Amino acid sequence: MVFNIHTRNNTDTIRPGILRLSLTAALSLFLLLLCHSRTLAATDTLRVTGTVTDSTGAPMPGVLVKVNGSSQATTTDATGHFVLKQVPTGATILFSMMGYLPQEIKVGSQPLYVRLRPGIRQLDEVVVTDGYRVTTRAANTSAIGTISGSALENKPFSTVMQSMQGKIAGLSAPLTSGQPGANVNIRIRGVGSLSLSSDPLIVVDGMIVNSGQLSGAVTTSNALAGINQNDIESIDVLKDAAATALYGSRGSTGVIVITTKRGKMGKTQVRADAEGGVASQIPLPHAGRPLNAAQYAELFREGLRNSGYTDAQTNDLADKYGLNSGKSNDWNDLVTRTGSQQQYNVSLNSGTEKTKLFASAGYFNQQATTIGADFKRVSGLINFDHQINKRFLLSAGVNISNVDQNTPYSTQYSGNPTWAARALRPYQLAYNDDGSINTSIAGNTNFPGIYNPLWIAKNDSKRLSETRMLGNAKLKWNIWDKLVYTSYFSIDYNTLEETIFLNPIMGDGVSAGGTSKNYYSRYTNWLTRNQLDYRYDIPGYDNFYVTASVGYEAQKSKKYLLAAVGSGFPSAHEDLTALSNAATPVGAYGQFSNYAFTSLYSSASINYRNKYALNGSYRRDGSSRFPPNNRNAGFYSIGGTWNVHEEDFFQQQRILSSLKIRSSYGTTGNANLGNYDWMPQANYSSSYSYAGYNGSQYSIIGNTDLRWETSKKFDAGADIGFRNDRFILTVDYYYNNIDGLIRAVNTSLTTGFGAVSQNVGSMVNKGWEFTIKGDILKCKDFNWNGNFNLALNKNEITRLPQGTLERNDMFYLKEGYSFNNYYLKEFAGVDPQTGSPLYYTDGGHSATTTDISKATYIVLNKQSVPKYMGGFSNVFTYKGISLGVDFNYNLGYWVYGASDIYFTSGAYYTYNKYQFIYDRRWTTPGQQTDVPKFSTTTDNSVSTYRLYRGDHIRLQNISIGYDFSHMALAKRLGVNKLYVYGRGTNLWTKTFDDRLPFDPEVSYSGFDYQNMLKYKTFTFGINVGF
Amino acid sequence: MKKNNKYIWLPLLMAATTLISACGKQFLDEQPPTSVSVEKGILTDTDMMESLAGLYRNLDNYFLFGRNAVVFGDLLADNVYLSSTNSSRLLTQYSYTFIVSSPDARLLWSQSYYSILQANRIIGARINVNNNVNQLKGEAYTIRALCYLNLVNWFATPYTVKPTSDGVPLVTLSTDVGGAFIKPARNTVAEVYDQIISDLDSAYKIMPDATPSIHTTSSNFIAKQAVKALQARAYLYKADYDKARDAALLVVKNGGYTLAADANSFNAYWASSAARTDKLETIFELNNSAAANNGPEGMDYMYSRNGLGDLLATDDTYALYTATDKRRTLIIDSLRGGYQAYIVNKYQNANKTDKDEVKLLRYAEVLLTLAESYARLGDEANALLYLNKVAQNRDAALTAYTYSGTALTDAIIRERRKELAFEGLRFFDLTRTNADINRQNMGVKGYTSYPTVKTTDFRRLQPIPEVETGANPNIKQNPGY
Repeated sequence: MVFNIHTRNNTDTIRPGILRLSLTAALSLFLLLLCHSRTLAATDTLRVTGTVTDSTGAPMPGVLVKVNGSSQATTTDATGHFVLKQVPTGATILFSMMGYLPQEIKVGSQPLYVRLRPGIRQLDEVVVTDGYRVTTRAANTSAIGTISGSALENKPFSTVMQSMQGKIAGLSAPLTSGQPGANVNIRIRGVGSLSLSSDPLIVVDGMIVNSGQLSGAVTTSNALAGINQNDIESIDVLKDAAATALYGSRGSTGVIVITTKRGKMGKTQVRADAEGGVASQIPLPHAGRPLNAAQYAELFREGLRNSGYTDAQTNDLADKYGLNSGKSNDWNDLVTRTGSQQQYNVSLNSGTEKTKLFASAGYFNQQATTIGADFKRVSGLINFDHQINKRFLLSAGVNISNVDQNTPYSTQYSGNPTWAARALRPYQLAYNDDGSINTSIAGNTNFPGIYNPLWIAKNDSKRLSETRMLGNAKLKWNIWDKLVYTSYFSIDYNTLEETIFLNPIMGDGVSAGGTSKNYYSRYTNWLTRNQLDYRYDIPGYDNFYVTASVGYEAQKSKKYLLAAVGSGFPSAHEDLTALSNAATPVGAYGQFSNYAFTSLYSSASINYRNKYALNGSYRRDGSSRFPPNNRNAGFYSIGGTWNVHEEDFFQQQRILSSLKIRSSYGTTGNANLGNYDWMPQANYSSSYSYAGYNGSQYSIIGNTDLRWETSKKFDAGADIGFRNDRFILTVDYYYNNIDGLIRAVNTSLTTGFGAVSQNVGSMVNKGWEFTIKGDILKCKDFNWNGNFNLALNKNEITRLPQGTLERNDMFYLKEGYSFNNYYLKEFAGVDPQTGSPLYYTDGGHSATTTDISKATYIVLNKQSVPKYMGGFSNVFTYKGISLGVDFNYNLGYWVYGASDIYFTSGAYYTYNKYQFIYDRRWTTPGQQTDVPKFSTTTDNSVSTYRLYRGDHIRLQNISIGYDFSHMALAKRLGVNKLYVYGRGTNLWTKTFDDRLPFDPEVSYSGFDYQNMLKYKTFTFGINVGF
Repeated sequence: MKKNNKYIWLPLLMAATTLISACGKQFLDEQPPTSVSVEKGILTDTDMMESLAGLYRNLDNYFLFGRNAVVFGDLLADNVYLSSTNSSRLLTQYSYTFIVSSPDARLLWSQSYYSILQANRIIGARINVNNNVNQLKGEAYTIRALCYLNLVNWFATPYTVKPTSDGVPLVTLSTDVGGAFIKPARNTVAEVYDQIISDLDSAYKIMPDATPSIHTTSSNFIAKQAVKALQARAYLYKADYDKARDAALLVVKNGGYTLAADANSFNAYWASSAARTDKLETIFELNNSAAANNGPEGMDYMYSRNGLGDLLATDDTYALYTATDKRRTLIIDSLRGGYQAYIVNKYQNANKTDKDEVKLLRYAEVLLTLAESYARLGDEANALLYLNKVAQNRDAALTAYTYSGTALTDAIIRERRKELAFEGLRFFDLTRTNADINRQNMGVKGYTSYPTVKTTDFRRLQPIPEVETGANPNIKQNPGY
């Protein structure tokens, strides 16, 4: 009887966590495939089963389990479980795994419990499993960063993206808003495009999903908010060509691969997590606190006096503005509150040899620290794997979630509570004397300009309910040992219901008597992939093989939108906000927006004894987003690696314990173009109709020559192990040359259009990335594991269309400069004698002027994106206690207060001011300071006066927990995991500019837009496993 | 192994599904929801009608004839001043402080060419010819001529001053045919007029005598006679009086248009915001309805005291009318910002849902063009006949004029001012006759004034927008800017 070992099947379901240092099967796999099957006598054999765990007791998947002296072998499954049939009695079993010390055990009492101790290098982990391939570290030629699921669990954030800042070298994920569920714009290795989106491609369990902000009316939303972070097994960040080229036209800005948890073989396990806590606003920097009533009154009077008002006039105004009323309030206090935070998750993990199941349900609720903002998620996940028979494996998964959030206005809107809190005077009174909310718009102690944010928060809503179903099914067919066919289908179905209500009493809805807007959007996005994998072992050599894959993929995403608007709402019945209450129908709209991709892809690799590996890929993509003549394009990559430590000569030195050198080059594209942007269009619209006739206008110029933006990526890296791989240093250098950048090129207006999009620009992103991780301190019971990363990115524009204006708003747009290089008139301080602001007349700072029109624009050596960024994560463990401390940092960048003019300039003396204006303003001749005399005639020109150093270091996360699992009581109760923890996030931020008035974590433009203030959380939680 | 085979249908089925769904040639052809590809934009006469409706609607946008292109003709001339109590609209235009970056000139330029693009698309459409198509193409030709006539008179030296001077670029191909990267130089003023005349000839030639049923027959659409009415204006502006006379005569003889018979009819005419089907007074006007209008940016809103009311009639203008002149009732002696003011009341529906139409061609203009052509050609009897036809209709108490020589042409120009005040043509009468523009300084009642625009003033021409000169190196800026 012939026994075939089917091993490749397992690897799909395995995701090792870095913290557990668990390794996986891939290396073992090909070893296994080398093993020849054997016929054994049936009589003197037995069936051997057992479980392999690591030193912490966590199950270890992928361990090679081999009968000594024979070629019979298998690997452990995801729960560390293994089964060997027909083992000769008395045989010795060898357990081995790269990164761990091998162990031999003689078959005795069963089942076997084996605990492997770490000791060998970490270079053989599976580094990525995406829709197309499984790569081991030895054969890997790419730059890939991984966050294990355990590092993401139980975080008090509504989306997993909010936990990623500082975790992976070269990935930035700034939190620019305290709105729960806010979109996070991720950049991998810098800005990837100037006109198109630079957001990376997001892949969930093989599915290329619609990501980012899919909503149309609410302030912000994140399509990934429906994914419960406790359901995530790992996140892989693909950075270079070798990793991203298989994503072809959409890989240019990097790829984030999210893998959810799957069932593991073994005893059924139930895990329940509960967490609750509070949140409070990250305190405003001292410089940016709004003034209290007395300070405001002082500045108000001073400003008028300095502007030539008589005392009588000043007093008269002061009276009108309530400065003498003795009644005031603190707006920052009024718009903020103690937020709350709850999450509950239950998961079930069960598996037999044939069938494995992971199921979970989660509830997450967050009330923000700013009034009017909240977030709620209910989610469920079922992942299922079934070995139909020896040749067929069926895997399926479904993730269903609902997100419900309310999102007040951001930026410079009157309905934005953050803006209102800074702008409103302390003497504008939130409440009437009878305790009701003040809605009067008459008089300067009420709200003639900016609305009362309390009323808006209570009566207006911008609510989103997003229901997402993400399902996939995969069938694997081992046609024969070396040839596998995989068929995959996934659907990403997303519905968004947005209800905007603007009340009729105060705010933006007043003029229409109250307005309600309802939007219903539905995204149906499906993808199918059929792939053949083949492996050929070169005869006569051990461990020398070639693999090849070829596949076809098709994807279509359809968006449907239905919207209706009505106005005129019953003013006395605040709850009657449903659209059908509207007296006047304003409009109804329906449309769709679709895109499709087809791809033929292939990849091949050759591996020589894990010393040398070469791989290459080619993908030909077709996309509906491009004109028919440019619809298809090819993308390729080639990569190589040399595992130097496999060489004999390597053993002659003792400094390094391992060394891997890798490099890759290839091309990827950016297809983030609007779905129909290329097409010259005659558009129909009610705004083109005439005298009752339908009207169309040739309103979209299009460009039938538009092509994909193409990124040529080069990467060279090394993974270096020290002290028996206790420390691993990863270094990468990259050079991305992005060509064919789409820019709007001005046309003669006689064409009827002002500009046309063309592939005319080029730029380069280059940089270095360093990651070092390992056990910094290791004693008997104490361990300090650290992970430090640093990324340096430099962007340089290399080609622009002729005639491009050098001044791009506040930035210098010119070949040879970064896209994010500030170009401003330079503030030179304050004239000590007069208190007037001074500006430099030239870049050499040779002279100053008080007349800003005589100052020149200067190309500053200052950028809006950090030169240095990264993180420093630590885990300290002592017996059952663990302490996690994570920092992230962004250094070498400058931020601009885009709305600050109101809070800094005396011309806007009716707005409250930042504290530093009060503290540092010029008052007496001879005074050396950097804030000019406070006067209503202050010059308000744009200059570096409102540019601040953004550098900061943030204590992102600190958690302390105790593991009760090994306590006798726990065991007696049948509890196999009992972990209790407390966590604080964003507790401390170090900044480096004492004038900086706001939190410096802003968008890549460097502009602070008065987004919702960020918060810190204090949570307490418990994880129980049965 | 045999039993494994029973599952083979599974992957085969999945693969087959993919192939069927995704391998079709159309899989990557996605069509937008509210647009069609321009090349497929006009395949039938109904498509053409929709494109024409879109073109009319664009003419009505407020950067063009919906407000600015009409308002400027009085605001930059002598009929109107901007109240010192204003909404900050059109200040640079009124005070003659416009520069190359001024949005008003830029939008007048860009929106005119955008309309020309729409017209070019209709004119260039290759579909089977029938009555409908001829009618619609004729309207498009006429609108293209209207746009060029407007452009050349705002951005170039009058034909009567120097026909060889720089006009505006002539673009007659739709951008999907002509390309996005054309950088046309300015044609001469004479060439632009040739194009205008030729477009109007083409229109007149192909348009059926009676408007076919593709759209309603009303003053909202250009009828065959409207083509000649516009052509009469174009000939008048280029001082080709023979042809101006012939064109105007055709309208008078064949058009069937009438003036309001009495005060009631006159008042009802100006009070109405409905399209006309009775050929009374209006030859062509842009539709503004409850569903489609410019709201607070419309011309009516700019003039009406029920809207912004920023624009007021100068004392000089008011003084032109006798007490018995029906047209004086269209100016109300009232107050604005605490001062006495003459409030323009030609547009009376600014605060209604159905707003005022914008009158672009009226029968009275044709009659006065005819009168002027006769006068310039020396036929004073006929000149007086048509002058008096208008003047005595408006003022029943008026003794018929008996002027002669220069006094006669002056009287006709003055009658044009009185008749067509606040309808956007005054500036062109002053520029084509190369006269100084004497704008009455209304003192504290008005916004910063620019009293005299001499014939040598470079600001008699609008600046070519800097975005045009930036993108198109072949275009020459007007002197002075």
